[in-house]
Amino acid sequence: MENRRKLLAAAAVGVSAALVLGACSPPEDSGGGGDGSSVTWIVNQAGGGWNHNAPEGGSVYVIQMLHGVLPPTGFYNPEGQWEWNSDLIVNTPELLSEDPMVWEYEINPDANWSDGEPIDADDFIWAWKMNSGKEELCAEICNSRGSDVDVLIESVEGSEDGKTVTVTIEEGTQFPEWYTFGMDGLYPSHLAEAEGFDLDTPEGMLESSHWFNENPVTVSGGPYIFEGTPELDGRIVKTVNEEYYGPAPEIQEIIQQVNTEEGSWVPALTNGEVQGGSPASWSDDVITQLEDAPDVEFGIESGGSWEHLDVNLDNEALSDRALRQGIFTAIDVQNIATRTYGEKFPEVEPRTNHIFSSSSEYHEDVITPTGQGTGDTEAALELLEEAGYELNGDTLELDGEAVPALRLRYTAGHVAREIIAELIQADLAEIGVTAEIETTDDLGGTLAEQDFDLMIYGWSTTPAFASTPYNYWHSTSLSNHGKLDVPEVDELTEQAQNVATSEEAAVFANEAAALVAEEAYVLPFVDTPSFYFYDTNYLGNVTDNNTQSRRAQWNQHEWTAVN
Amino acid sequence: MLVYTARRLAVAIPVLLAASVLVFLMVDLSGDPLADMRLAQPPPSEEAIAAAEARYYLDRSTPERYWLWMTGIGGNGDIGLLQGEFGPSVRGGAFDIGEQLASGISVTLRLVSAALVFALGLAVISGVVSAMRQYSKLDYTLTFIGFLALAMPTFWLGALIREGGLVFNQSTGTSFFFTIGANSARVGNMTNWEYFLDSAGHLVLPTITLMLTSYAAWSRYQRTSMLEVLNSDYVRLARSKGVRNSVVVRRHALRTALIPLVTVATIGFVGIIEGVVITETIFQWRGLGYFFIEAVRAQDAFALMSWLMLSGTLVVVANLIADILYGVLDPRIRYE
Amino acid sequence: MSDIDSRTASGKGPAGLPAGGDVNRGEELSQVRMVWRRFRRHRAAMVSLVFLGLITAFAFVGPFVWPWDHTVSRDILGNQPPSLQHPFGTTNQGNDVFAQTMRGTQQSLKVALTVAVLSTVIGSVWGAVAGYYRGRVDAIMMRVVDVFLIVPLIVAVAAINGNVRGGTTWYAVALIMCLFSWATIARVVRGVVLSLREQEFIEAARAVGARASRIIFRHLLPNAAGPIIVAATLLVAVAVLTEAALSFIGFGIQPPDISLGKMVEGSRTAAFTRPWLFYPPGILIVMICLTINFIGDGLRDALDPRQTMVRR
Repeated sequence: MENRRKLLAAAAVGVSAALVLGACSPPEDSGGGGDGSSVTWIVNQAGGGWNHNAPEGGSVYVIQMLHGVLPPTGFYNPEGQWEWNSDLIVNTPELLSEDPMVWEYEINPDANWSDGEPIDADDFIWAWKMNSGKEELCAEICNSRGSDVDVLIESVEGSEDGKTVTVTIEEGTQFPEWYTFGMDGLYPSHLAEAEGFDLDTPEGMLESSHWFNENPVTVSGGPYIFEGTPELDGRIVKTVNEEYYGPAPEIQEIIQQVNTEEGSWVPALTNGEVQGGSPASWSDDVITQLEDAPDVEFGIESGGSWEHLDVNLDNEALSDRALRQGIFTAIDVQNIATRTYGEKFPEVEPRTNHIFSSSSEYHEDVITPTGQGTGDTEAALELLEEAGYELNGDTLELDGEAVPALRLRYTAGHVAREIIAELIQADLAEIGVTAEIETTDDLGGTLAEQDFDLMIYGWSTTPAFASTPYNYWHSTSLSNHGKLDVPEVDELTEQAQNVATSEEAAVFANEAAALVAEEAYVLPFVDTPSFYFYDTNYLGNVTDNNTQSRRAQWNQHEWTAVN
Repeated sequence: MLVYTARRLAVAIPVLLAASVLVFLMVDLSGDPLADMRLAQPPPSEEAIAAAEARYYLDRSTPERYWLWMTGIGGNGDIGLLQGEFGPSVRGGAFDIGEQLASGISVTLRLVSAALVFALGLAVISGVVSAMRQYSKLDYTLTFIGFLALAMPTFWLGALIREGGLVFNQSTGTSFFFTIGANSARVGNMTNWEYFLDSAGHLVLPTITLMLTSYAAWSRYQRTSMLEVLNSDYVRLARSKGVRNSVVVRRHALRTALIPLVTVATIGFVGIIEGVVITETIFQWRGLGYFFIEAVRAQDAFALMSWLMLSGTLVVVANLIADILYGVLDPRIRYE
Repeated sequence: MSDIDSRTASGKGPAGLPAGGDVNRGEELSQVRMVWRRFRRHRAAMVSLVFLGLITAFAFVGPFVWPWDHTVSRDILGNQPPSLQHPFGTTNQGNDVFAQTMRGTQQSLKVALTVAVLSTVIGSVWGAVAGYYRGRVDAIMMRVVDVFLIVPLIVAVAAINGNVRGGTTWYAVALIMCLFSWATIARVVRGVVLSLREQEFIEAARAVGARASRIIFRHLLPNAAGPIIVAATLLVAVAVLTEAALSFIGFGIQPPDISLGKMVEGSRTAAFTRPWLFYPPGILIVMICLTINFIGDGLRDALDPRQTMVRR
């Protein structure tokens, strides 16, 4: 008995000790720890796959993770102006012809992948086929998440050893933002070929698409290269790519760490475990913590996405435009702006155009003339009474029947939308309309099934806008969740994406937005502000860039080390 | 005993199966895992959505999906638990459920076993002390601390403990405690010793968070069973024979009083699983708890099922060990 | 899964109550009085009882007295520190946090009590029936219990919550939690019943031809009341904490309604920036659980000093 017990005890201690001390030697492929400056940056959500062209990988987080490894053709600077990636492309591509649209890239002759293979037309062709949406180029359309410009391309051809690339758009179509082709980064197509995929066949393309989604690229065409095995839901180590053909970055090592718990960000920052972050979320308290933290630089910028209220036009009560206008008028958008983001970002102001934020050169105020978003209860009631509604005590009635309660939905756990929902509920109570707040865990599904009367959610934006009105409002668009069906709007949105220049597109987009405002279909609230922060003991020259998925990491190669 | 063990395991299999059906039904009915994809801008084509549905078997009916998950017959070769495949994750091909589970286990075991060891040690000490000094100030204090630990929401406690660690770091000017992850991001060029220190620094705060609840419950058990033994006839007899108090406690009372705790703690190993989910979230560990939370968020049915099978098996095995240990420690118990 | 509980329990006897013979009313009364006398001697439990009473009054009576309710009001300025008007300050959107705390306490208590009562009723009957019949019935019923014990509560709630329409009201959360809490009670009760059924008074009842239902409901369950009451009391505390944990991972009661867990979750980054948001709901949770645990401890001492804690 005695011995058995001792044996048991010894075994128990031994096992647990082994488990605890299993943490004793570093794993083999862990990477990290080179000499020189190293920066750890928070990525606030895990990525889903390594191919940013596929739905699983097509998130801002994956684009951030691949940043510095895949070379882009160009990017939007913080002011929203397009800039070409002059390390990769030596000419300034311009339209050689407007119908059909044709343009040409001259690739830097020194531009090679880190394994010595040239970056050439093949990589552009792969990008095009991947997103072409054409079964004859790519089986099952390569599982592409879709693209505005790539689907319109007729051909991509290489010449001069593949270092000159000519892109031609299908005849009869135009697209003002043709230059955005390849802006999320080009993939090294030769790796797929080496795997044995025949990229000239649709099946080979599909296989290569899956392969790039499942495997992180082992070479780099940018200033940084992955070290060890990068993890989509954990840690990614990038070190300087010695073979890079452009200027070498100052920061020797970039570590991206997925961290989903916002409460841990500032503690980790002040504890020196991370050096910065540019999360895609908002928290007053995190910002307050940043204000109190020593040696931390942080900034708040608006943009990136905007919040709005969508109406389901298939709801019988809401199919009456007068009711919609009354509701939109009764909602106090300024109050919403103040109480959601105003505390930490007093500059926040109501958004007055669906397509353009007020900083855009194309912005026209389409909301204010309609009187919507003023929170003017009197005006709203007047409007409603003209249309035959009557406020009877606390209830709005039409022909003696109460307006049915409306289901107001938003994503569970979204703090700003929670605030907005409660404010709308209070505003609508003033005009006798009952809003029942109901959260959803499944925004996409709820929208797709039209399972709402009123829905609060956000659209993300980039400076590219030409196809946006079509996606939002065209009667056949899958993203037109409330089912707006106005022929004039359809026509305007089609025109907006079928012109050669942004100026022309903006005219159509604004006209469409004005019509939508008149219809009281979508009420814009605010541009969502976002914040970034970094430790000034380690880093310098960090600026946010809300026009890009990469956010503050966009100019990583220009960051400076502080000693 | 072998027969007993085998019989217990045989009974456990239908239980696990029933639990898996239950969970599968719940997860499968709980929404559309491709919702985010449908919401993407620009909107993905219908072909892309259809392809994704086929790839993740979302185009099949619920019973069919369960059958596929279990047997893999009629699938694309990437599914079927009986064939050793965990099925595709709706989070994409880069997410290999089996690999993720395996790496999660090693991380979580480190946390759980550390918490278990400390919780047990502290529980025994404070339980024994409480029982020896029943109704003294010390007893009341320890009881109160135990109850307080039981009354705190784990995540609230975790946030307080994290701040405590930071205050310690700042006031001593050191950086011993870490607040996120199981290890630092840069470990490549560490020596084994440095790596060990790094692991330890990351382990302390979450361990304290995780162990406090278990410690509190177990120290109560230990106090009760110790009191029982101290008041038993044979201990009184030993005392009346003039055996020294310390010897009585060590040789007679404590040994007997440990028996129930061993079994309770083994079963408690399972209760810790829920604490792990919260603790790993607060301290951003990439273990089984995180795996679970992310699987729920992504409505990743196959990942959740694999997780359940693993935790369910752990429950079964832990309970079995508890029963066997009980028999080993207490010779009065015999297995049929 | 385990037979441990039953085995340890079977050594114990029926929970402190004199188990001899049928329980008649007079005896019941004197028993209650005796238990109450023993309970009163437990000072911490008595103090806790008073505190819990105050908290309950705060939660259920408070809202009638207090000028604000938990919803957003246009008249409340957002994000104010504590003042006389708003003792716990206000939230960004303009809720009075004091009113929210009252409402949150109310909802958390409602959830916890519902879970405790329902699970106890279901679990007791289930456990008693299994323990009474033994054999195959027992084996099957306890395997069902095992199924519910294997599935972690949070898995179930997280999975179900998303789908149930309006599944985020307090009673929906309570029902789902209950679905996965009764199993522990069932196990405890079965253990007690297993030992009770061997005693003379049950055999006597059987001998005079009493039906099974009568034996279970008139004899077994009343005599197992001690451990059941203690387990149910502790389940209240566990339910409060579980609700909080569910809120933390985003699956509890949803706005515009509020619970203590939801409040703590929403303010967990505010510990050092806006402590008036962080501490009141957290301290209330701690207070509720602490008082209930002490009451449970007092009850255990009064009913049976040897009953152990149940925590899931």
